[in-house]
Amino acid sequence: MSKFTGVWAIFEYLDETTETIEQVREQGVQPTVLMPCPRHEIDHALGEPGTLVPWIALAFGALGCLIGFSLPAWTASDWVLPVSGKPIVAIPPFTIIGFELTILLTAIFTLLGLFLLGFIDSCRFPIPKAAKKYRRFQRDRFGVVVRCDSSRIDEFESIMKKNGAEEVHVEKE
Amino acid sequence: MGITAEYNTTAGRVVIDENEGHPGIKATTLSYGQINDEMLAMLDKPRPSYYLLLLGFLMALGLGVLSFAIQVDVGIGYSGISHPIAWGFYITNFVFWIGIGHAGTLISAVFYLTRAPWRTAIYRSAEAMTVFAVFTAGLFPLVHIGRPWLAFWLIPYPNERMLWVNFKSPLLWDVFAVTTYMSVSIMFFLLGLIPDLAILRDEAARKGKKLKALLYAPMALAWRGTNHQWVHYMRGYLIFAALATPLVFSVHSIVSWDFAMSSVPGWHTTIFAPYFVAGAIFSGLSMVLTVLIPIRAVFGLQDYITNHVIQSVSKMIIFTSIIVGYAYAAEFFIGYYSGSPFERAIFYYRPFGEMQSWTLLGENQINFPQIAFWLMVFCNVIAPIPLWRWKIRNNPLAVWIITILINIGMWFERFNIIGSSLQHEYDPASWGEYWPTIVEVGVTIGSFGFFFTLFTLFAKSLPPMAIMELKEGTNPPMKHAAKKDINE
Repeated sequence: MSKFTGVWAIFEYLDETTETIEQVREQGVQPTVLMPCPRHEIDHALGEPGTLVPWIALAFGALGCLIGFSLPAWTASDWVLPVSGKPIVAIPPFTIIGFELTILLTAIFTLLGLFLLGFIDSCRFPIPKAAKKYRRFQRDRFGVVVRCDSSRIDEFESIMKKNGAEEVHVEKE
Repeated sequence: MGITAEYNTTAGRVVIDENEGHPGIKATTLSYGQINDEMLAMLDKPRPSYYLLLLGFLMALGLGVLSFAIQVDVGIGYSGISHPIAWGFYITNFVFWIGIGHAGTLISAVFYLTRAPWRTAIYRSAEAMTVFAVFTAGLFPLVHIGRPWLAFWLIPYPNERMLWVNFKSPLLWDVFAVTTYMSVSIMFFLLGLIPDLAILRDEAARKGKKLKALLYAPMALAWRGTNHQWVHYMRGYLIFAALATPLVFSVHSIVSWDFAMSSVPGWHTTIFAPYFVAGAIFSGLSMVLTVLIPIRAVFGLQDYITNHVIQSVSKMIIFTSIIVGYAYAAEFFIGYYSGSPFERAIFYYRPFGEMQSWTLLGENQINFPQIAFWLMVFCNVIAPIPLWRWKIRNNPLAVWIITILINIGMWFERFNIIGSSLQHEYDPASWGEYWPTIVEVGVTIGSFGFFFTLFTLFAKSLPPMAIMELKEGTNPPMKHAAKKDINE
């Protein structure tokens, strides 16, 4: 677990949280926000962060489609079942397998991808243990976590207090 | 009183009124904490009546297991399935349960993309129903094949004889379609549960229930609700909804091709795919209300599953009932217009039986397919007509009775299609009669026991409503900007 130095605060209100996020970003630091449900207001305040999930879905969807067509084509060629002179490698029936495997692989790897990306982000943007143990972030409170040098802690602490944080915690390791 | 906020949610643009809340969903005036508490209260220790209900379902399940065990011991010949009727109750049950499994994904994926706000209160339960119904459906091919221990022959795997499955067979398409649908439904269901499992984990820890917290912790997959997690999650959820939408329509289309690709009179028709899909949605939505109306009454969830929600589902039922009714009529027209004597014969046989008389009063006229046909018409076309009236739609008890009738009708619709065509194919010398045996009836009852046992266990162990989405749909806690459109 990465060592954490910075400030984190608990907010009751959404508008106070978004104000804090904007002011922290104006100081050149991207905070991590904890919230009980997704809020577009917070996404706007954070500058609409992107995700690689759609690209993962696209890549594995294409792979699924390829497997879905090539597996039946290969097996049909490997064990030939001639019926009334109909094509051995027949595209219309294989489209169904292609469609199903496109959906299946996209779904499996989208799920794995979003877990993996979440794990990578939790390593890249660690949050302090005490914030993880604070139970109300899943319930009804918002959290703003700022990673910074010890020299800037006071600056961010005052931003959070000014914006009405219920609690402000300073972590130095 | 008045508008307090307007904002976009994943469920669409929402106008929140401080007293009225979301149109039709009073829960939108509740705070995050209240929603948490009310939802978690549903998971408290159950009353004795719950155990009694569970015992009833377990007994039905036990009957099914016993019947299946007898069939395995004696052999598939103990069922009523024999030449020329190779598909009987088991395949009817398979198609019926796959159909029931359609509503959950329709509600959670299609209505998510179309931003229907009333889905929030019911989608979790509907999704659970999908998963359990597809589990139930998945058992029937295994029961039906007679030697279930050889079911793996359907999977394309390299084997020592270098034999491969036939990808041109609709039965194999079905294997892929149902497996994919089951896998995606389970993943979609679990994905939606993750933030709620984190709530359960943290609430258990907050209340000092260490064992529960330990149980929920691995299931919550280290969910903390950070903005990084949410952004991946929400995009992933949207992709899942986009994937599941075509899947809903494809699965029952492919199931219908099990029939339509064959040259059996009454089956070989292009109308089958949309006909089956509409029927599946029709029966699935009916089952959602059959299950949720009692749950709403037992748990006192009138603020969440409001009459508005029941009305919205009822309107979908009316819509699909019209499509199904039209399909019934179109089938007869196609049979007549085909000019084929075999097609015409089967569509005479379905309502009237043997071609000896124009009345139902003739000798030996009434057979199982005729009973199935008239029950199907009554339950699926006539019984839903009262739903056109607002007063009926607004009466949960009336809606509940109608949905039960629809479930009965949809089961018999499947039997009508499967049973009648196989009994009267081309050559009268190979016609036959089918009546189910006791093991088939037992397994059918067992399948209902299996489904309802799983659902009853779910209702008390996981939140039957998506807490995260209910919070997303409610008025957010604002100190200053309460009257401002916070998205602009």
